[in-house]
Amino acid sequence: MLTFEDYRVVFAAVGLIGVLLFASPTLGLVLHLPGGERFSELWVLGPGHMAEDYPFNVRVNGSYMVYVGVGNHMGSSSYYLVYVKFRNETEPLPNATTGAPSVLAPLYEYRMFLEDGGNSDVPLNFSFSNISFSGNQSAVGSLTINGVPFIVDKSVSWDAVNSGYYYQLFIELWIYSAESDDFQYHNRFVSRWLNMTGI
Amino acid sequence: MLKRVLKGSVSFLLVLVLVGLFSHGVFVVRGADGASSSVGEADVAVRRAFNATLDAERAGANVSGLMAKLNEAGELLAEAETAYRVGNFSEAVGKADQCYMLVDGVIGEASSLKSSALADAQARFSSTLMFSLAGAVVFVTALILIWVLFKPFYAKKLLKMKPEVASNVDV
Repeated sequence: MLTFEDYRVVFAAVGLIGVLLFASPTLGLVLHLPGGERFSELWVLGPGHMAEDYPFNVRVNGSYMVYVGVGNHMGSSSYYLVYVKFRNETEPLPNATTGAPSVLAPLYEYRMFLEDGGNSDVPLNFSFSNISFSGNQSAVGSLTINGVPFIVDKSVSWDAVNSGYYYQLFIELWIYSAESDDFQYHNRFVSRWLNMTGI
Repeated sequence: MLKRVLKGSVSFLLVLVLVGLFSHGVFVVRGADGASSSVGEADVAVRRAFNATLDAERAGANVSGLMAKLNEAGELLAEAETAYRVGNFSEAVGKADQCYMLVDGVIGEASSLKSSALADAQARFSSTLMFSLAGAVVFVTALILIWVLFKPFYAKKLLKMKPEVASNVDV
């Protein structure tokens, strides 16, 4: 049988648990538990909104399309800047190790505002003009993105291993930091190799 | 006389052409400067609007409507930046101005949303705190009452118990 002291302890424990239960709604408003991992997504999909049928073999005046998507899991609303850049094999990509963006100037850009958990994708239409081939060299004079023509003047040599003239369209993700009042490279990029096949 | 008039006209035309050429340069430079300044102002306005929206969100406001407006403004700003990059200054100024006008009301709206969200949060906190306090007080009072009633019941139960005599089996 329980002693008087045992009952006292039971009553005190029940009292404490009850008080904590009644206080829990208020504690929930005051205490904020740390959330999950914070990150952003960046992706490229083909013209059918699927990870297939990506443009690869391209030619002059052909029209190509991909979708560029961004997802926000940063724990609050975020302001993203997406840069579209174009390079040949010798020009630098962003450095994933140091988190530095490519030094190449952006051609086209998108700006997106996403709430936490939200995502959005935008069409990226592109075509090439002023293309020339000479010896084992190919040159692209102009790249039109979403109807805006850009002078790019890039040239590549014939890639004997992969049999083609390879250019790369790549997309960098930048995020606005309210603390520094500036955009910072978010250490995410996606790219597509494009083989220039003919005039 | 005619020669003099012709000479004067030619000189005047030459001066006009020179001024025209010089002015063209000035206008082009001013066009680039003006576009740069318009795009810069729109960029700053969008950042301010986003910061205000973020403050409202942190205060607990639903900012979906503001985010939709910011997305429209962001699209215009991106178009303005791209137009500026390719040297289409008039379009850059036009898009930047549209962006500025669109984003102009967002800061005020965000500020009012923040105020109402803070007031709501305060009211919610007060009512929750009242519930917690009242609930805890009622619970503890009830528990004390039960304890007070339980003590004599327990004592009576103890007194009613018959003493048991145990025999010492070892002896």
